[in-house]
Amino acid sequence: MIGTNDAILNVNNLKTHFRTDEGIVKAVDGVTFSLRKGETLGFVGESGCGKSVTNLSLMKLIPSPPGRIVDGEVLFHDRDILKMKENEIRGIRGNKISMIFQDPMTSLNPFLKISTQLVETIILHQKKNETEARKRAIEMLELVGIPAPAKRIDSYPHQFSGGMRQRVMIAMALSCNPEILIADEPTTALDVTIQAQILELIKALSEKLGTATILITHDLGVVAGMCDTLNVMYAGRIIEKSDVSTLFSDPRHPYTRGLIKSVPRLDKKTGQKLYSIKGQPPNMIGMPECCPFHPRCEHTMDICRRSYPAAVVTESGNSVSCWLYHTLPYEGGVK
Amino acid sequence: MKTETSGKLPVNEFNQPDKGVSLTLDAWRRLKKNRMAMAGLVIVVFFILISILAPVLPIYSFTEQVIDHQYLPPSLLKNAGELYYERTLGQMNALAEKEKRELNREELAALDEIKYRIVNETAVINGREVKIHERRYLFGTDYLGRDMLARVIYGGQISIAIGFVGTITSVLIGIILGAIAGYLGGKVDYIIMRVVDVIYGLPYMMLVIIFMAIFGRNIINLFVALAVVSWLTVARVVRGQIMSLKNSEFVEAARSSGASTMRIIFRHLLPNTLGVIIVFTTLRIPTFIMLEAFLSFLGLGISAPLASWGSLVGHAVDGMNLYPWRLFFPAAAMTLFLFGMNFLGDGLRDAFDPQGKNKF
Repeated sequence: MIGTNDAILNVNNLKTHFRTDEGIVKAVDGVTFSLRKGETLGFVGESGCGKSVTNLSLMKLIPSPPGRIVDGEVLFHDRDILKMKENEIRGIRGNKISMIFQDPMTSLNPFLKISTQLVETIILHQKKNETEARKRAIEMLELVGIPAPAKRIDSYPHQFSGGMRQRVMIAMALSCNPEILIADEPTTALDVTIQAQILELIKALSEKLGTATILITHDLGVVAGMCDTLNVMYAGRIIEKSDVSTLFSDPRHPYTRGLIKSVPRLDKKTGQKLYSIKGQPPNMIGMPECCPFHPRCEHTMDICRRSYPAAVVTESGNSVSCWLYHTLPYEGGVK
Repeated sequence: MKTETSGKLPVNEFNQPDKGVSLTLDAWRRLKKNRMAMAGLVIVVFFILISILAPVLPIYSFTEQVIDHQYLPPSLLKNAGELYYERTLGQMNALAEKEKRELNREELAALDEIKYRIVNETAVINGREVKIHERRYLFGTDYLGRDMLARVIYGGQISIAIGFVGTITSVLIGIILGAIAGYLGGKVDYIIMRVVDVIYGLPYMMLVIIFMAIFGRNIINLFVALAVVSWLTVARVVRGQIMSLKNSEFVEAARSSGASTMRIIFRHLLPNTLGVIIVFTTLRIPTFIMLEAFLSFLGLGISAPLASWGSLVGHAVDGMNLYPWRLFFPAAAMTLFLFGMNFLGDGLRDAFDPQGKNKF
C-alpha cells in the first residue's frame, strides 16, 4: 500500500546506539519507514522507546559522543543524509526538514528577541536581506495566530506565554517552507485547550503548505485526530505500522492492543479500574535476541524468547512484528 | 467617600506599548534602584572621566620638576612661593634656635634673595614664560618638586587603564577558550582544562616577575604578563556556564535549524553567560589594579617618569612621617576607586541575579 515512488523520505534499518558506563544502549535498533509528501506520520510508544532518538537521527542531531548512528540510511530525495558533510546537512536542517520541540519554555533563547531568532533562520537559509526576512517573519507570526505580530515581534521570549512560544516555534519551523516538519511531542508542556489549538494549527498549516509531518507523542488521542499512518515503537523498534483507522479498530500487536485498552474512555462504566500493561519497559542494555515485549505479553510463546519476529504484512496492507501472525509449523500457527 | 488619586502612581490608561525588555535592561533597572551601586558607578565614571580628560585639564605637567619646590605640603590658599619661603624660614629659625642665636647675615641675605626670586623668577614651560613661584599645589609636591595632583591623576590613568585593559584581555581569552572547551567537550576540553590546571598550579606572581624580567619592564609587557596569568578563572567560570547551557533545548533548536557550531557558541550561548561575565569583570578590575600596585610597589611595575597609584605609594613610604601627603593622596584615590568598583560589582551581581543573593 505504501508507495515508495512518491516517498520523500526513506529510512532503512536505522540503528542508533549510545555508549554508557553500563554498556551499549541500542536506543534505535533497525527502524525502517517512509514518508510521503503531505502525509502525517505518527510515532507512539512509551517513554524511552526510541521515538525521539529516531527522529533526531534523521538529521544527525544525536549528541556524539555518547551516541552513534551505527547502521542504516536516511534517504531524503534519494540522497543519504547520514553520509552528507556537516555543512551540507546544515543546509537541510531548518530549511528542508525542521523541528518543533517538546518544551516551548526552553526552546527559545531567552537572551534574544523573537525577531532576531526568526530572522536569523530565514536569512541563513533563504538568502534574503534583513527587511525581507523581517517581513516574512511577521507574516509567519500572523499565520500562526499571534495578535499584532508587527508590534510583538521585538519582544523577548519571557514576555510570551507557553502557547504563544510554541506558536513562535511553529512559525520558526515553517518559515522556510520545509518539506518535512518533525514535531517532537509538541503539546506535552501545554494545557489541554492550548494543546487542541496547537495541534489544529499544525494540521491546518501543514495541509496549507503541503508539508509532510512526523508527529511524536505518547498520547493516542492526539494521534487519532492528526495522523494518516502510525508507527508503534517498542524498545527501539517499530512493532506495528498501520493506518490510523485500522489501528484503532483492529490492533494486531498485543502491545498496541494494551495501549489502546489503557486509554481512559468516556463510554466506560464509572468505578471500573483502568487497564494497564503489566511490568516495566525493558532495560535496553545488553538485550538478548528475542521479542523485547515477551515478559509483559499475554500470549508469550517459546519462540518469543529466542528470536525477534520479522514484520508480517496483514490483509489490510499494514505490517506487524509478532510471532502470533507467523505460520509456525511446530507451534500451531496463528492463534 | 472620596477616591484619592495619588500623584505619584501613574494611572493605567491601557495604552502602554508592548516594549521588548531584555534581561540586560531589566538588570539595569534593578541596578538603578541600588543606591550603593549607583554611588559606585558615579565614582567610577568620575575617575574615568578625569583620567581621559587629564591632558586638557588645567593641571601642571606630571614630569615637570621644580627643585626649589621639593616636599611642599598641600595647600589651597598659599602659593608655592609663600610655602617655599615659610619652609626655608622655618628651617633657618630651627637651626638658629638650636645654636641659640639670631639669624645671621648670610641667612638673611639668602631669605632676601628668595623673596626676590619668588616675585621675579620665571621659567619656560610648554613654550610659555610663567612665574614659577605662583603655582599652587593642591596635593603638595614630591621629592623632585613635581605636582602630586598631576601625578595622582596621571597615575590613576595608568592604573585604571591596566585594570580595564588587563581585565578585558584576560576575560576575552578566558571567554573564548572556556566557551570552546565547554561546548565542544571531549579531547578539546580535556587539553584546554589541563593547561589551565597546570598554569593554576604555578605561583602566578613568580610568572609575572619572571616575564617582566625576561621581556623588560614596560607597560605593554605588564599588560601581557597580567593577562596571561589571569584568564584561568574566567575560562573555568565560562566553561561551567556553557556546559550547563549546552544541553538546553534552545541550543538543540538552533542546531536543528542549521546553525553552525561557532554561531551557537557566540550568538546563542555567550549572551546567556553575559551576566556572570559582566559581574566577574567588574569584580576583577580592582584585583588587577591591586596586582599592578603590588608590582609597582616592589619596583617591578611602572618605571619613572611614569607613575601609577602603586608606584606613587611605593615611593611615598620612604618619608611617610615627614611628608604624609605623598602617601595619603594616591592611597585615598586608589581606595576610593576600588570602593566604587566593588560596590558597582556587588550591585551588578544582585541586578543580574535577583533570586540568589550573593550566589556568585
